[in-house]
Amino acid sequence: MSNDGPIQDIGEKHLVVPGTTFRKITEAVSRVTENPAPRGWWIMFLAAVSFTGVLGLAIGYLFFRGVGVWGNNSPVGWAWDITNFVWWVGIGHAGTLISAVLFLFRQKWRTSINRFAEAMTIFAVICALLFPGIHVGRVWHAYYMFPIPNSMSIWPNFKSPLLWDVFAVGTYFTVSTLFWFVGLIPDLATLRDRSVNSVRRMVYGFLSLGWRSSNRHWQNYERAYMILAALSTPLVLSVHSVVSFDFATSVEPGWHTTIFPPYFVAGAIFSGFAMVMTLMLVARVVFKMNDLVTMTHVELMNKIILATGTIVGYAYAMEFFIAWYSGNEYERYVFLNRAFGPYAWAYWTMISCNVISPQLYWFKRLRTNIPLSFVISIFVNIGMWFERFVIIVTSLHRDFIPSSWGYFHPTPVDIAIYMGSLGLFFTLFLLFIRWVPMIAMAELKSVLPEASAHHHAHDDHDHHHAQPAKAE
Amino acid sequence: MSRRSPYEFEGPAPEAPVWWTSLDDYATQQDTSPSARADLAAEMPEGAWDFSDPVSRRGFMTLMGAAVSLATLQGCRRPVDKILPYARTPEDVTVNVTSFYATVIDRRGDAVGLLVESHEGRPTKVEGNPDHTGSHGKTDLLAQASVLDLYDPDRSRQPTLQGATKTYADFEGALREALTGHTSNGGTGLHVLVQPSISPTFVRLREAVKARFPNARFHTWEAASASNARAGARLAFGQAVVPVVDFARARVTVSIDSDFLQTDPGVVRNTRSWAEGRRVRSPADEPSRLYVVESNYSNTGGNADHRLRLPSREIEAYLKALAARLVSEHHIDLGDVAAAVRGAQAPSGVDAKWVNVVAADLAAHRGASALVAGTRQPAPVHALVHVLNQGLGNAGQTVKYAPVADANEADDHAAEVKSLSDALNANQVQTLLVLGGNPVYDAPGGRALSDKIAAVAFSAHLSMHADETSEKCKWHVPRAHWLETWGDAQSLDGVVAIQQPLIQPLFSGRSDIEVLGLLSDAPSYRGYELVRETFRTQNAGNGFERAWRRALNVGIATSAVTPVGPGLRGAEIIRSLSGRNAGAPLSKTNLEVVFAVDAKMYDGRHANNSWLQELPDPVTKITWDNAAMFSPKTAEELGIRGGDMVRLTKGNRSLEIAAWVLPGHADNSVTLPLGWGRTRAGRVGNGHGFDVNPLRTVEAPWFEDGFSATSMGTRYPISQTQAHHRMEGRPIAIETTVAQYREQPNFAERMSPTPRTLPLWRAPNAYEGHKWGMTIDLNSCTGCNACVVACQSENNIPVVGKEQVGRGREMHWLRVDRYFVSPRGQGDADERATSDPAMAVQPLGCVHCENAPCENVCPVAATVHSTEGLNEMAYNRCIGTRYCANNCPYKVRRFNYLNWHNDGVYQPLDGDMPEIVRMAMNPNVTVRFRGVMEKCTYCVQRIQGRKIEAKRENRELRDGEITTACAQACPADAITFGDLNLRGSRVSELARTDRRYKLLGEIGTQPRTTYLARIRNPNPEMQG
Repeated sequence: MSNDGPIQDIGEKHLVVPGTTFRKITEAVSRVTENPAPRGWWIMFLAAVSFTGVLGLAIGYLFFRGVGVWGNNSPVGWAWDITNFVWWVGIGHAGTLISAVLFLFRQKWRTSINRFAEAMTIFAVICALLFPGIHVGRVWHAYYMFPIPNSMSIWPNFKSPLLWDVFAVGTYFTVSTLFWFVGLIPDLATLRDRSVNSVRRMVYGFLSLGWRSSNRHWQNYERAYMILAALSTPLVLSVHSVVSFDFATSVEPGWHTTIFPPYFVAGAIFSGFAMVMTLMLVARVVFKMNDLVTMTHVELMNKIILATGTIVGYAYAMEFFIAWYSGNEYERYVFLNRAFGPYAWAYWTMISCNVISPQLYWFKRLRTNIPLSFVISIFVNIGMWFERFVIIVTSLHRDFIPSSWGYFHPTPVDIAIYMGSLGLFFTLFLLFIRWVPMIAMAELKSVLPEASAHHHAHDDHDHHHAQPAKAE
Repeated sequence: MSRRSPYEFEGPAPEAPVWWTSLDDYATQQDTSPSARADLAAEMPEGAWDFSDPVSRRGFMTLMGAAVSLATLQGCRRPVDKILPYARTPEDVTVNVTSFYATVIDRRGDAVGLLVESHEGRPTKVEGNPDHTGSHGKTDLLAQASVLDLYDPDRSRQPTLQGATKTYADFEGALREALTGHTSNGGTGLHVLVQPSISPTFVRLREAVKARFPNARFHTWEAASASNARAGARLAFGQAVVPVVDFARARVTVSIDSDFLQTDPGVVRNTRSWAEGRRVRSPADEPSRLYVVESNYSNTGGNADHRLRLPSREIEAYLKALAARLVSEHHIDLGDVAAAVRGAQAPSGVDAKWVNVVAADLAAHRGASALVAGTRQPAPVHALVHVLNQGLGNAGQTVKYAPVADANEADDHAAEVKSLSDALNANQVQTLLVLGGNPVYDAPGGRALSDKIAAVAFSAHLSMHADETSEKCKWHVPRAHWLETWGDAQSLDGVVAIQQPLIQPLFSGRSDIEVLGLLSDAPSYRGYELVRETFRTQNAGNGFERAWRRALNVGIATSAVTPVGPGLRGAEIIRSLSGRNAGAPLSKTNLEVVFAVDAKMYDGRHANNSWLQELPDPVTKITWDNAAMFSPKTAEELGIRGGDMVRLTKGNRSLEIAAWVLPGHADNSVTLPLGWGRTRAGRVGNGHGFDVNPLRTVEAPWFEDGFSATSMGTRYPISQTQAHHRMEGRPIAIETTVAQYREQPNFAERMSPTPRTLPLWRAPNAYEGHKWGMTIDLNSCTGCNACVVACQSENNIPVVGKEQVGRGREMHWLRVDRYFVSPRGQGDADERATSDPAMAVQPLGCVHCENAPCENVCPVAATVHSTEGLNEMAYNRCIGTRYCANNCPYKVRRFNYLNWHNDGVYQPLDGDMPEIVRMAMNPNVTVRFRGVMEKCTYCVQRIQGRKIEAKRENRELRDGEITTACAQACPADAITFGDLNLRGSRVSELARTDRRYKLLGEIGTQPRTTYLARIRNPNPEMQG
């Protein structure tokens, strides 16, 4: 972690509230994992676990009866299943972007939120991976998708974008998890050192891999972190590009579009940031982290939401333009049908949430308004779900042959599995908040003025040479 | 979720010893009175171990168990079925080698000769007999579906006497006893209700019964009766003859309310010759022209070049006006009858062209035109049609008259029912035998009859199911399926064929002729002996045995009879035509109700056939239901939307039925399809659709005015397989007119061209061996849907039920798309778009793209291309991602969303496909499990079978040797399958004709199926 001058020197604002000390950071973050959970946590956790239980039952029923318990049909072969998959993968984008890309670009404001975002990524990808697994007709043969040497002497079809998905999302999940875990090591050591009971000591001791904060450890750590960041960065672009290939390489009007890879990536960042915002604002209130996650963070994130939301809006417009410009009647029909056909309600929900609502952020007063930020982040989450729904369902439901046109109606099982996946996500996330430092203490300390080599504090000179992660 | 009772307790056999513990116990067991049963039921209520909740405790535990056992999924196996191999193989059976036997089926008064495929003695598939003139190797959809009736698990299995199980010996004894009373009085009080038959043996035996009991009364009734045609012929000629129209030679055909391509008699024969007359090989060919005047939008109307929608009531007036015009302008000689039509005016609102131009067209084609009257139209209309055909010189040319199979059958079936009900009401009936049929359900006033029937001293009903009529009769005797019994049938043109059973009666049923044999006191009343006896009288002499064997082998016993040339009886016709055509004008408060024979249910006898229930109606695309058809204008006036419940009322008769808005239907007329709303059809058929028979009367069995319709304000869910009916201007089912075709013969390919871009890489397969391909000639296809059922039967395609069809999950590999086509470029186009559209049909199955979008996207390579160009499905490999179906531009891939064979239509009883239904499966085709994608394979099992045969015989495959189930069934011969690489093969020739096009060719999928565009032949003088 480099320390290229305090941020104030280049004219930016404080990234934490002035007066925050190393000790304060360690206390604030570690305390959450050590003190008994607040009542609010328990309420949310029980709710989330209940939804996870619903997910389990719904999946059990799904496996028992077959995919027919969903509303999918012919022509709409994919509906909520793949919509949920793409939505969760999209949400899983922000984590890597914040931790890797912003890290490489030396965006130091990321330190307050990167742990959060990374955890969210991993949990979102877990939820995402659920769907390709359960959406197949014969789950007990789902392993056919993996290139496992087998007695049937047959490999998966490497031409299929669905197989690319398996690799892309699998890689993304692996690298994100590694990246997250590597970043956690110094903080886990902090928790280990603060442990007062032997179980905690053993568990955190095991997970912190013998971290002793030596200079050599720090050197290796930072190099590893840098390499993983460099590895993750292309993944940010590749995962959602590959996911978009599921659609872009097909022949379906509405799917067969070259704009999809950048459009999907922008959309993914958009939705990921929105989800980080949602979670962050909640955690900030529940765990009283106002000093560490400041208005600056909120504003910067809102700016990114505005930027990506506008890119997405451009992509929507461009799809229409190309559909008209191509002269392809099927293409034209699909887009007109999206906006004015039986699914117009879904399309306009998407437009309102994704394109119109972020435009409020042109005004500083609005993008620094916490309640509004929360509301818009929810809107964007909804809008991005509808974006995937619109792409998948409205393209399929009316394609080439009018005799086969249909309509999709979700069933209670569709709803249960979607809500259940939210439950799973929040269960994992609440467990994370409770047991793992939710803010990267070591990194956050590096943005304190004290961490700077040029900092001249009156009270304590030690901070000049000590790296910030020393456990207190 | 399946709901099972844990145990099925069988009642004790009647002769079983009684086990008792106390005197009370003994008394209880002996007492079968309802009160004792009620006591017993209260003691141990059925399902006491089950909650009444839809999700039973057991069901819930099953579900929980499944959820818990997810972790152990790896250990799951599908249930293993045990098979019983032959210990000693019968001489003429080779396991896995199919054999074909010739037989015949009665299809609404015409015989269709068949070859039935048999696997180890188990009939599975019906094909046409090429040597039979009623079939020429083709079949209709009902013949295709009838094989499933054989394996209907709801067929009754034992004779019953008021619900108690009896033996056949009991029944025969009881019948003999009942007859002894009649031997002395010559049969007074003996009434037999039969269905019209074309079986010479049936006729012979009936006459024998009449000889034995001269005072016995035979009543003939069928809800879908064609007796009007018969009465019309008798009116015109003084004898019952049947017109056989050669549509191939008729250059101009006028259909007077006749659905001769779907429901009227002789469908297979008519479709074949009509398609022949329409055939276009080059722009030089002139297809025939078809004018249709009808009220309902029938399939025949969909094939018309010009269609006039007119309430059925007014069609007679139109015909008279046409006749008048022919006499006055074209000097057609109608003899005395000319006076009866002189000055007749067409009904108001009919465009004068419809009289003037049609008359001119008919007059220009004397001897090469034909008028056909529908069975719904009354006898005078039939008579007038006969007169016109005679006057135009068509008789003996395009229309031939053959003697009917049963000259003694009564002409007026409605009157027959009336005479029976009169006799019942007068308590004159001591013994009533109902041979087949279901009069309590389908006879006019049948409901009223039911109590009277119950009061008859001896009544017996012979039928396949214990149905509505069986319930009222004392005895119920299982009727054998036609594949189980001996019989014979005479086709319209007089060809007699022997109906040869393929299998021993599964439930030891009896046939009609066997019961008649019993009545006639024939020496042996085994069907075999009775049929041979008839055959012996026809083939007297020493050659009998040889002739008999030959008849069984080739499937025909006699050749066609010489047509007769009957003379007209003008005076009778004039009398019948005069003084008709009264009544107040039709309006939204004075609606005409028209009864239509259903294309699938016929008169209701096929109600328990799940293939037919699920088959979309050829015109409305409604499955599992019927509905009252309204025209868009009438529906709007009455404030009715499709799916609304309406009440039709006249006097004290009323009917509640779902309404449907059918474009092209006549205004102020409502069509009610017969054959639905059965209550005792079986598990499949019960409760589907609406029974319209209560509105039918003896006086007006086919159409009647004076009805009013009111919306009830409730909705009824209707499942359609196709909900969108416009082609959106896309080049899909391409058609043009003769004139435009001659201008630009390759118009179709220009509308849907295959892109000519250089490939990036060499094609992976050059297809140097076989190159399978198919052509579908839209010009021949009538949209009858026989191919769909043939495909279902051949390929073990599951049925999903009404709710799942509503969800869009029907499984048909081959479907017939139907679009309404609006006239273009006319001033009133908008209005006519919905009120009077034309119809376009297009059979669509997998087109086997050479560059298949489905193959690329399958992650597990479960759908791959064969070296012969087939797009193949490996079911074992498929994991069911449905990506292929999404990427299929033709949307022909079908996914097993649930385990249809278990969760399908039999679920209400035991949640599992009954053993016997599995017998209808083709053993050469995999039965697909849930979670697997499937689609048309070009009948790959047939391809491989014939290839193996040819290889064994060390020869090349011949053209036409391999054919798909759809192509084989198609009565119009619209589908052709074969090897595109084989020089001179039919398919390769057809694929090169100028009307060819590749569906959605511009995507570059390069389909192997080539469509040939449809050419309509409108009369230019009708335009503008």
